[in-house]
Amino acid sequence: MIYAEPRFKPGGDRFLEIEFGDELNLELNFRAQGLGQAITREQVKGVGEIAPFFSSALVHYDPDVIGYGDLCRELKRLIESVASSSDVELDSRLIYMPAMYLDPWSVEAIDQYIEKINPAKERDPDFVARINGLEDAAQLVRVHSGTEYWVAALGFWPGTPFMMPLDPRCRLFAPKYNPPRTYTKTGTIGMGGGATAIYPVDGPGGYQIFARTPVPIWDMQQKLDAFKEAPYLLRPTDRVKFVQVSREEFDAIERQCAEGTYRLNIVGYQKISLKSYRAWVSTLDQNARF
Amino acid sequence: MLEVIKPGLETSIQDWPGRQGYLKCGFPWSGPMDHWSFRLANVLVGNAPGAAGLECQFIGPTLRFQRDGVFALTGADMQAKLDGVPVPAWESIAAKAGQTLEMTFAKVGARAYLAIAGGFDNEVFFGSRATFHKGGLGGMQGHAIKAGQVLPVAAGQGVAGRRVKPSARPVFVTDKRWQVEVCAGPNDDWIDEAGQQRFLSTAWKLSSKSDRGGFRLEGPEWTFTERAYNKPPEHGSDPANIVDHGYPLGAINLAGQTPIILVNDWPDGGGFINPYTVPTCAFWKLGQSKPGETYQFVQLSVEDAQAEARRITALCAESSIE
Repeated sequence: MIYAEPRFKPGGDRFLEIEFGDELNLELNFRAQGLGQAITREQVKGVGEIAPFFSSALVHYDPDVIGYGDLCRELKRLIESVASSSDVELDSRLIYMPAMYLDPWSVEAIDQYIEKINPAKERDPDFVARINGLEDAAQLVRVHSGTEYWVAALGFWPGTPFMMPLDPRCRLFAPKYNPPRTYTKTGTIGMGGGATAIYPVDGPGGYQIFARTPVPIWDMQQKLDAFKEAPYLLRPTDRVKFVQVSREEFDAIERQCAEGTYRLNIVGYQKISLKSYRAWVSTLDQNARF
Repeated sequence: MLEVIKPGLETSIQDWPGRQGYLKCGFPWSGPMDHWSFRLANVLVGNAPGAAGLECQFIGPTLRFQRDGVFALTGADMQAKLDGVPVPAWESIAAKAGQTLEMTFAKVGARAYLAIAGGFDNEVFFGSRATFHKGGLGGMQGHAIKAGQVLPVAAGQGVAGRRVKPSARPVFVTDKRWQVEVCAGPNDDWIDEAGQQRFLSTAWKLSSKSDRGGFRLEGPEWTFTERAYNKPPEHGSDPANIVDHGYPLGAINLAGQTPIILVNDWPDGGGFINPYTVPTCAFWKLGQSKPGETYQFVQLSVEDAQAEARRITALCAESSIE
């Protein structure tokens, strides 16, 4: 739901969290991103930084400059000024990410988990398909790759995207692993709650996994052109479209990435407005699947 | 210039307040955990309180001075010796080129800080010299120091023989039981009355599965309010799951049933609730405690926590030197 009034909660002596609602919804993320832009634009005194998330924003402030109560009042004023402009437009790059679905590396990680941690675990693609009422893993691949994903936030690890599907017909839900997996390979694509993420480095994980991209999203060596400005690829308000590739294509792209010669397809001229998005969504049969 | 003979246990260059400003890109701040001791070390050698220094964890390094310099050690007592002669902590000391500073295990406390006049002069990455060791960025080639490295030091003029007044130093507990301040929120309304009382009345044990990203705590089960069960599916299925959100530094992050205090190299977002947050003024206690020791949490208001942080900052100044 979208809260009638944003809720403010302190996080210790120098953070506060603003909740705009409690669901995955582009409108909520627009509010969080819009507030971030407004804070930067108006240079609110005492605000160190703001990290917008799906439906909330984390604000770091300097209590020697502004108190908690005054800051809440100031942010409320800003939020009202942002919310009134429903035709706000955000620049949004579209990034085509090659992805191999039902890849052998996810299978290996799942096998390992079933063998060592939880023998009763249903394989991730079958499980996610079943609980979402899909026919099989093949349909999961069609549905998951059938939409653009909105990069709502970066977090958890430098450059790690938290993404939501823009096409409501491709919405999927999945519980997280419990207990978590001890190993996931870099580039693995998975889902938890309603969010999709890409693993930036090898490591433990809790998302249900069923695909992998050969393109890095985090590279301290900044080998590819797309990393010229920063060691991370994606930014909030980007969109990602997964493009299915075969094993042969995966291997070839992985080689080109290692050599620094791979050119990602990044489309850079588009803007997203809530108004046009809402108009499009209203024409859809939300219960349809691909 | 300091040559690393032995690196110690994940000894790293840190500055304070660290790599702030990039939370929205997922970068933790890093920086010293016990920023009280760290800042006083810098004040002793005439640096700005936040200048880059070394954080030594549990087992300190052995370092050789390649030129004359003034240094100071604060925080944990790692039984430091300069060319075999014990040197006091909380005092600025002159070292000659060629002398060796040897530190061993932490006898009292867990983290020692070494500041050197001029400060370390490693490369600035995204606004800071602090090391995010796990993430491979900042510090020396992205990591903790290694044997054979030469740590660059900027020119500086320190004066030997300056001491921190005992009244201005943090006092470390010796009975392994810490009282640690917490503020309620942001997600305290997900924990029921009994769960809140249990949290505040328990002596939580610091797990050995802890590092500069998170301090795991061992203790009783958590119980929740209605809100943790009645929620849209995008929150996830565990009572402690919430729609992925930002995590403040110091958050007591409830991963299922395991509370993890998010410390300096923390993951700054994810899908678990944060019922409480450890404020700035208590971080020195986290930095100086060892696995197996216990935390008893004491709830403070946001305003009181801010006042306490201000009091500590006021102590990290020239007026604390004698």
